[in-house]
Amino acid sequence: MKLLIVEDDVAAAGLLKRGLEESGYAVDLAHDGEQGLKLARAGGHSLWVIDIMLPELDGLSMLKALRDEGRGAPALILSALGKVDDRVEGLRAGGDDYMVKPYAFAELLARVEALLRRSRSFGGGPDTLLEFADLKIDLLSRTVTRAGQKIDLQPREFSLLECLMRHAGQVVTRTMLLEIVWEYFFDPQTNVVDVHISRLRQKIDKNFSLPLLHTVRGAGYVLRVDA
Amino acid sequence: MPGAWILAAVLLGAAGAALGFWFARRRQRNLESLRSRLVAVTQSSRQTGDNIAHDLRTPLTRLHADVETTLRSEDNEAHRATLERVLTEIHGMQNIISALLTLGQAEAGGMPVKKRVVDISVLLEEILELYGPSAEERQLRLQGRIAPQIQVEADRQLLARIFSNLLDNALKYVPANGLVVLSATTKGGEVVITVEDDGPGIPVEMRDKIFERFTRLDSSRTLSGGAGGSGLGLSLVKAFARLLQGDVRAEESRLGGAAFIVTLPAATAGSSRPAP
Ligand SMILES: Nc1ncnc2c1ncn2[C@@H]1O[C@H](COP(=O)(O)OP(=O)(O)OP(=O)(O)O)[C@@H](O)[C@H]1O
Ligand SMILES: [Mg+2]
Repeated sequence: MKLLIVEDDVAAAGLLKRGLEESGYAVDLAHDGEQGLKLARAGGHSLWVIDIMLPELDGLSMLKALRDEGRGAPALILSALGKVDDRVEGLRAGGDDYMVKPYAFAELLARVEALLRRSRSFGGGPDTLLEFADLKIDLLSRTVTRAGQKIDLQPREFSLLECLMRHAGQVVTRTMLLEIVWEYFFDPQTNVVDVHISRLRQKIDKNFSLPLLHTVRGAGYVLRVDA
Repeated sequence: MPGAWILAAVLLGAAGAALGFWFARRRQRNLESLRSRLVAVTQSSRQTGDNIAHDLRTPLTRLHADVETTLRSEDNEAHRATLERVLTEIHGMQNIISALLTLGQAEAGGMPVKKRVVDISVLLEEILELYGPSAEERQLRLQGRIAPQIQVEADRQLLARIFSNLLDNALKYVPANGLVVLSATTKGGEVVITVEDDGPGIPVEMRDKIFERFTRLDSSRTLSGGAGGSGLGLSLVKAFARLLQGDVRAEESRLGGAAFIVTLPAATAGSSRPAP
């Protein structure tokens, strides 16, 4: 799978490329908007990572041009710190997700994988039944069962589990959970998310021999059947 | 910042000189007050600069020593452990820098504020729910006394950051078995939200100072359990409250500890519709 990175900070772009390649992706690199546009038009990318501040042509104009041409690859927007408005602008210009620099690579990788997966499962219509191993959740009746046994969750625990199920097998970061489940775009200092997760874990894993919800140190959480 | 003040002083001085003799006394008073403000600003910014340097030098020194020692070892496990510590330190330094940039932006008025009518009662209940389990884990009782349907015209993210910071503090500084209460009411045209506790409280002479950058009480520095902090949280709270045409102050709580009182203008009937 090939990704395109458009980032003018050569050192940052190089590190990003290396990290993504080590995670099994092929990576094209562009250092300004014009070059990015050219590479994106040549096609073949499953996802674009685009910095907003770029020489020649800024990232948002570049993305808008691509969207106007009907190109649909998912786009992850990067922006410098503190530009609160960029989130809205970025999503309006056709971005699918947004991250503020400086970011942790683990966070970026998690988001790239979430976007790729979302675009792969596109067109299947909204699922109302999600399954992972012997865990099943029904989004309409908002019920959860594991191995046929009913599990009672608080509404927020249900949303957390839904988010983890949608990204089963992939790391979901604390920041992503705060954004998706609580719609807060900042990180509190207290480990608020961790405590909610450990309660959820109590309910879905405690009485079963096979644990499903795992902590990935320094990154976040993942639903996984460990071998 | 000091640059702008110096420029302002020079301009004001020049304008004052042109105003003639009979205005001289008043001019002198102006210049005098300007000079003292200038001195205050430069002093505080020098102090801030010192603090930033100090706050970044400490982790840098630790990093340096850590990396140096590890480089001498051949042990892969040790390398890994060091890298993990390095990452944590970097994260801490990034947080300080982010907070400073956000502060600078908020205080300079460069921060876009998305004002909408927000039902702050709902927002506060959500925050209570978000912090509930963490409070419980620290053996604190977290209670809400929130009047229903209080509307403010504000930015939901900024509001959430204000109360998240205040609760972060309560969770950090109130000892186990303590009580933390989040309450909200309307008084006249004002919405009053209080985060209070029965912890150690803030000494009277520190109640204004605590909102300045890098101010921490000595008792917090030595707190066990690794309650680290850089002393920027409350400066952010103040800057955000002001961005929303409100304010925040510290008092003594009826519970015996600290009370942080946030006031915000209530939404008026003609306010823009709530976010869809
Ligand atoms: N609820 C409280 N009870 C007692 N002391 C408090 C309380 N809240 C804040 N303080 C004191 O005020 C100081 C400043 O708080 P502030 O939130 O600005 O910084 P911090 O918590 O030390 O660091 P951070 O930048 O991580 O928030 C704290 O260090 C602590 O000494
Ligand atoms: Mg704090």
